[in-house]
Amino acid sequence: MVCYRHVRPAASRFLTLPTLALALIPRAVALNLALGAVVNALKLPVYLDSVGTILAAALAGPLAGMVTGALSNLVLGLLANPALLAFTPVAMIIGLIAGIAARLGAFRRVGTAAAAGLVIGVAAALSSVPIVILLYGGLTPTGAGIVTMVLRSVFPLSMEQAAKIASLSTDIIDKPLSAMLVAAILARLPARITARFRSAP
Amino acid sequence: MNPRFDRFNPLTLVVAALLLTAAAYLGPAPAAPAAALALALVGAWWGGVGARGSALAAGVALPTFALLALTNGVLAAAHPDASFGALHYDTAGVRDALAVALRLGAAITALGAVVAGVAPRRLTRALAARGLPGWAAYLIVASLEAAPEAKARAQEVLDAQRCRGLATGGGLGRLRALAPLAGPLVASLVAETDERALALDARAFRAGRRRTALTPVRDPAIERAARFAMYAAIAALFVWRFAA
Repeated sequence: MVCYRHVRPAASRFLTLPTLALALIPRAVALNLALGAVVNALKLPVYLDSVGTILAAALAGPLAGMVTGALSNLVLGLLANPALLAFTPVAMIIGLIAGIAARLGAFRRVGTAAAAGLVIGVAAALSSVPIVILLYGGLTPTGAGIVTMVLRSVFPLSMEQAAKIASLSTDIIDKPLSAMLVAAILARLPARITARFRSAP
Repeated sequence: MNPRFDRFNPLTLVVAALLLTAAAYLGPAPAAPAAALALALVGAWWGGVGARGSALAAGVALPTFALLALTNGVLAAAHPDASFGALHYDTAGVRDALAVALRLGAAITALGAVVAGVAPRRLTRALAARGLPGWAAYLIVASLEAAPEAKARAQEVLDAQRCRGLATGGGLGRLRALAPLAGPLVASLVAETDERALALDARAFRAGRRRTALTPVRDPAIERAARFAMYAAIAALFVWRFAA
């Protein structure tokens, strides 16, 4: 006769993730990176590097979204550019807001997902500006940095004001597009999979 | 992976990189960031990862310097020292740009050297030995392993869809191509989740027991003392910077 010993769960259950979320998060992190590669291959003028974070938040909740965001920046920091580690709080904010929006049912329709994406975009832009100012002096060597430079040269704006406008101009396009993509993905995912997430403890 | 860096506990190297980063950002510019950059470069080249660390740092710090110097020193100079028609030159703006570039260079070289010279699995084992929960260690390792696989899968999906005649040219065509490319990628990644969750549950992953490392990472007393001293130095830098 084979006897199985009862496996007790971990003592602390505060802020823990269900196993399904633990299995989803690495795939969502990989999705952030893989979609970045697809966007590069298609030469699209957007990033779409938060789709995995928003998807994890929509399926498994705000905590899963925050962990996915943090891990995405950690992995990108380890594999590509360590400076990205500083933007970890921004990625966590994206996951948190996406998770809350999902709880409110924002990803059931593409229109409400776009509105949620707009809120995520504004929050991401505003939270990234202090990091850009502190770390890069206000200008990152990206498209947003060049927009900041042009704004500073043409209008009498401070570096912070120019960085905010540049950041908002990219994020209010990118994040609603990412959120709409997630809503479209969720609508097409097999019900068996989405139901598993809803029933996860 | 790296014979010289492998002599140390990975956490000691991470804390050393954080100390150099803190010195670069909290110390007086340009002397402190320049000294931190020099030390980071010496460490990176000694560890055999100098080329990678330098390339990473140069790739971010040099364009940042060029953009900042052009903006604050020429195009939007706050206090111009010299003017040539519509163009101005502000020495303070260029000096500030140099300070930012040196800080970035020091931080990226120091952290980049650790990233290039320490195997992520070894770093995770060292963190687990210091109390990192099993689920967090799993998430870091699984994410690092899943990332290159997903990138390769994205390329496979792109190639397959192009073979089937998917148009990826033209402004609207490129946007339209996004859904047939993202769809299979997302579906396959999410479908795997279920299987992986079952595998984790079958191994009693949530049992919460402390796991035993097959190859423990050494952590001698002298390195623990060195880390304590470096943490104290970082705290002292913060106190000096913000109390002044």
